[in-house]
Amino acid sequence: MNLRIVRAIAAVTLREFWRSPDAVFWTYGFPLLMAVVLGYAFHGQAPEPLPVAVVDGPAAEALAERLRGSERLRVEVLPAEAADRALARGRVALLLRGDAAAPVLRNDPSRPDAELARLLAERELRPPAERAPPIAVEVEDRPGSRYIDWLIPGLIGLNLLGAGMWGIGFNLVHLRTQRLLRRLIVTPMRPREFLLGFLLGRGILVVPEATVIALFGVLLWGVPFRGSVLAFALLVLVGGFAFMGLGCLLAARPRTIEAIAGLTNLCQLPMWLLGGVFFSNERFDGWLAGLVEAVPLTHVNRALRDVMLEPAGVADVLLPLGLLAAFGGLCFALAVRWFRWT
Amino acid sequence: MTGGDLAIELRGLRKTWRGAGWRGGGKVTVAVDGLDLDVRRGEVFGLLGPNGAGKTTTVEICEGLTVPDGGSVTVLGRRWGGGDDQALRQRLGVCLQESKFHEKATVRETLRLFASFYPGGRAIDEVLALVSLQEKADARQSALSGGQRQRLAVATALLGRPELLFLDEPTTGLDPQSRRQLWDVVRGFRRDGGTVVLTTHYMDEAQQLCDRVAIVDHGKVIALGTPVELIRSLGAEHCIDVDVEPGALGARVTAADLQALPGVQQCECDGARASLTVASVHRALPAMLELLAARGVPLRGLATRHATLEDVFVRLTGRHLRDEGAQ
Repeated sequence: MNLRIVRAIAAVTLREFWRSPDAVFWTYGFPLLMAVVLGYAFHGQAPEPLPVAVVDGPAAEALAERLRGSERLRVEVLPAEAADRALARGRVALLLRGDAAAPVLRNDPSRPDAELARLLAERELRPPAERAPPIAVEVEDRPGSRYIDWLIPGLIGLNLLGAGMWGIGFNLVHLRTQRLLRRLIVTPMRPREFLLGFLLGRGILVVPEATVIALFGVLLWGVPFRGSVLAFALLVLVGGFAFMGLGCLLAARPRTIEAIAGLTNLCQLPMWLLGGVFFSNERFDGWLAGLVEAVPLTHVNRALRDVMLEPAGVADVLLPLGLLAAFGGLCFALAVRWFRWT
Repeated sequence: MTGGDLAIELRGLRKTWRGAGWRGGGKVTVAVDGLDLDVRRGEVFGLLGPNGAGKTTTVEICEGLTVPDGGSVTVLGRRWGGGDDQALRQRLGVCLQESKFHEKATVRETLRLFASFYPGGRAIDEVLALVSLQEKADARQSALSGGQRQRLAVATALLGRPELLFLDEPTTGLDPQSRRQLWDVVRGFRRDGGTVVLTTHYMDEAQQLCDRVAIVDHGKVIALGTPVELIRSLGAEHCIDVDVEPGALGARVTAADLQALPGVQQCECDGARASLTVASVHRALPAMLELLAARGVPLRGLATRHATLEDVFVRLTGRHLRDEGAQ
């Protein structure tokens, strides 16, 4: 391995990136924008009331009035046909007809809000004597336990994934279609020197990228940072390396941009769904739980949350670090072996 | 000749390509069809032929970029895949057909990258001077003209002080001045003892630059020699091109009539133009004018010139080098 060559490849790769304003925006600007928008969207608001419909009829207004007793329900009275359509389209979570004494409730329990709406409606329709004694409710809004606290580490993981898959995979295939790789491989440069240099040139960017998102979270929404900064840096580097190795592997053979885009999406979609970015993946069971553990993004996100939300140090994340490094190394070795230059 | 005098030795080289995509799937094209070739050290060797003749495939096999299906390849006394390809690559300079570099990198940055591959290579400023790109040293790739890009490609090939330089269609699409500049670079490289293999479909380029030329068609060498030898093989060193009114050729005067004139070796008729290869212009020309006048065919144009490698190619294949049909 000639380090002079690795350094030269890394330098030209990094420069190529910095000199493309659009690439800089989509790498830095867009993820930040997403973090800001999502942060505001999920930042400690009271939940929206659930829409329910009451079918128009003689007792409809009385029934609607009873339901309006709950501030968590938004009640509207609709003609039968309109009410059916509203339920079918998911505009309302629940449909009621009849009178308050013996109403008929209609919902599709497989929709996320349907059961909650049913419970709320049932509670409002009970006679006052049967109601449960008042329970004091505390809203969890302490830093470290809110959704935004949970989301920010996930967004960092998501960015590492994107940087590896698109930043590496897509650009390698682009260089192949540009016939630049052919020119490079007829020099004394070795394949592994090129791939490592390319990885470093793009990989160096993940550190500032992750840092900026973390800083935004900490400064803007008070997301805590309780663990070790060193552990965070290591996770970003090693996690980034794992996804970049995967990017190299996906880019090893394709000859067209369409092929690499398809392969990248194929790999990315399960990770988005199972990697625990936007919703928790800790409650799956059966084979799905196995799949969750097989997805590298799961381990990146879990460890990042340990480091940011809990006082985890380097020793606490050694296992994920080891797993991710091994995964990245394996992908990289296979990519060097299978890489197509022409 | 011993193997030590040869820069390249090809024996029975074969390469077929299988078409890609839905429609080309499974369609087999024979690119190189049992080709033998020797390139001597210190010469400029030209592979001349139409597009699709197999020139680029042959050169890319020599460069170690393409693996042949059959035959043997020896480059500077070594074979590809022998375990030390990197050492062999140190001794080669390569300029691929339409090679691209990083779009946002300047000329100097591109050369710096390639310099890192060749320890003990030339200094960047020295190479810039060799290809006259000093003034463009800080211009980005995207700001260069076609000729400047091509000279940059040659510069990357010269950085490592190669013993053997491959130039694949180095002047295609260039203006006359850029072509001449590149020719000077090639001549300078040869003067310093280097060996050059170049492919071209410009006969004047081959004639001007090459010590020896192999004419390639359908993946085979169909003629080999110095440009002078090849032209002399026509048996005639001059050509007469005559333009007449359309329809006159073949009707009032036939190719056979022209070929029968004194001193005429060969006649090619193409619509309203006839090209005669002649041993002695002073005998053939008056006879031809007399014949045309006698048959009542008025002249529209007349030119005499020295025969070229193009005429050799036409004689051998019945086609022109730049025929579209040859693609």
